[in-house]
Amino acid sequence: MNTLAVQKRIFIVCFLFIPVILLLMFVVYPAIQLFINSLTSWDGISAAKEFIGFKNYKEMIFNSGDVWISLKNNGIYFLVHLLFIPLELMIAIILDSRIKAKGFFKTITFLPYVVNGVAIAYAFSFFYSPYNGALNEMLKAVGLEWAQQNWLSNEKIVNFSLVVISLWRFSGFHVVLFLAGLQSIPKDILEAAVIDGANASQKYAKIIVPSIALVIDFVLFQNMRGALQVFDIPFLVTQGGPGYASSTFTLYTIDTAFSYNNFGMASSMGVTLLIMIIILSWIQKGLFKKVGRG
Amino acid sequence: MKLQNSVGTVKPSVINGKHVRITSVLSYIIMCIITVIVFLPIIITVFASFKTAAQIGIDFPLKMPSFSYLENYITVFTRGKILLGFKNSVLIVVVSLVLNTFLGSMTAFTLNRFNFRFKKVIMALFVIGMVIPVYVTEIARFPLLHSLGVYNTMFAPIIIYAATDLMQIYIYTQFVEKISVSLDESAMLDGCSYFGIFFRIIFPLLLPATATLGIIKAVDIMNDMYIPYLYMPSSKLRTMTTTLMDFSSSRAGSWEILSAAIIVVLIPTVFIYIVFQKFIFAGIVAGAVKE
Repeated sequence: MNTLAVQKRIFIVCFLFIPVILLLMFVVYPAIQLFINSLTSWDGISAAKEFIGFKNYKEMIFNSGDVWISLKNNGIYFLVHLLFIPLELMIAIILDSRIKAKGFFKTITFLPYVVNGVAIAYAFSFFYSPYNGALNEMLKAVGLEWAQQNWLSNEKIVNFSLVVISLWRFSGFHVVLFLAGLQSIPKDILEAAVIDGANASQKYAKIIVPSIALVIDFVLFQNMRGALQVFDIPFLVTQGGPGYASSTFTLYTIDTAFSYNNFGMASSMGVTLLIMIIILSWIQKGLFKKVGRG
Repeated sequence: MKLQNSVGTVKPSVINGKHVRITSVLSYIIMCIITVIVFLPIIITVFASFKTAAQIGIDFPLKMPSFSYLENYITVFTRGKILLGFKNSVLIVVVSLVLNTFLGSMTAFTLNRFNFRFKKVIMALFVIGMVIPVYVTEIARFPLLHSLGVYNTMFAPIIIYAATDLMQIYIYTQFVEKISVSLDESAMLDGCSYFGIFFRIIFPLLLPATATLGIIKAVDIMNDMYIPYLYMPSSKLRTMTTTLMDFSSSRAGSWEILSAAIIVVLIPTVFIYIVFQKFIFAGIVAGAVKE
């Protein structure tokens, strides 16, 4: 072996050693542990882990109603965000059009995604508060006193109150992605279509949507992934309450581990979440393709 | 370019001028509504932060305060120790960022320029990092960090943040690919070692990517809530975000002080966003395109 090859080998080992060790320790090893722990009744503290097979999974499926209530709440986030995707696309189209001050509007639209989410969650807690909360006060001011609510303690409303926070924070992310997609469509194609007499809806259906199919696909995937992993907003604003009314699958899982020291059960929920993300995004992708073709 | 644009604007408006005008008015209305929605919770909080508890009880939330009552902010800085949180946040951000930048660029360069055994395996391992759900990972990572003895020290978040991920490698790789291999070769002929090539030639050329990735990562770390909350319960190790969480739990109901704390925590991220938004947009889009 010549010296160059030796030098090359030394270089590769030196440069990749730390990144790969970190990857193995903090990503791969925990991932494997998650699977292993899910088959035990580990409490997170004791040295011994009792192997109990798939008992956690059975218990979770048949005996933990609350975790499925929590998952239903994830469904609310998923559906509401999904319904807002056409609106987000419309906003992106506006920002891609020739309106004035579009730089300013783009900055505003994306601001919520970048600023501190914890601060925003608490700002909304204040907004919804039954004591001097801004929303109820504003409703009163415009004569809608009858519409005042306990936005965060009414079981029927709380999830929607929280979804609004989620929409406020994350819609701008989709808009920016759509905008990047739109900007990659050559303008002369659109102008040619207009000159040829295409109306607005034809323009969207035949040119815009097909051209940004990849972006739409990515946004749908992010939406599914994000909705299944909702955690910080209910954790900060309601702690999942009242009861489990605003809990989510991840919140319930984290609680199971760190509040109830049931690491085995929590791990099996984590694995289930992983599997759900993979399967549901795969189904969604298939549906999207089918709709696209049909 | 200018000319082309103006030609483009004339034609559609000539064909159906009225239609174009209506849609553009509608566009402004929609964008103004969005601007109001974005600012509403922030403005209400800003106003509340300059009010006394009594004023919050009586005043309409959108009634502007005099902005001369600074008691809430003074409380946030003195009793709230928000500056300690700021210092800790900055320390964690800077150390993690330096480590993360080197690890990320070194990994991307090595994976892009060389062929070796296990290359595919390493790439596949990075994919695992993308698939595992975020918060849930901590259930398995927590016992590990505990046994490494870094629990309740700054090393816990720093180790987690420093590790490179697939998105970072992907963005760096795009830039590494653009740097011609002949540059490497001529440097070698001049007697430069591989290490020299990376640190003297490649790394400086990656600066635009480093800026984009660094800013996004800095914002991510500053905004992160769960990792500092879980791994650094000590009050001396509060970051800005966890200081705010403390405020919320210990001063429940006193909205005027919490509002001031919210605004103080918002300001650094708003500042970074306004100054570096070009980089932030570029990074978000580049990171998304990969999938």
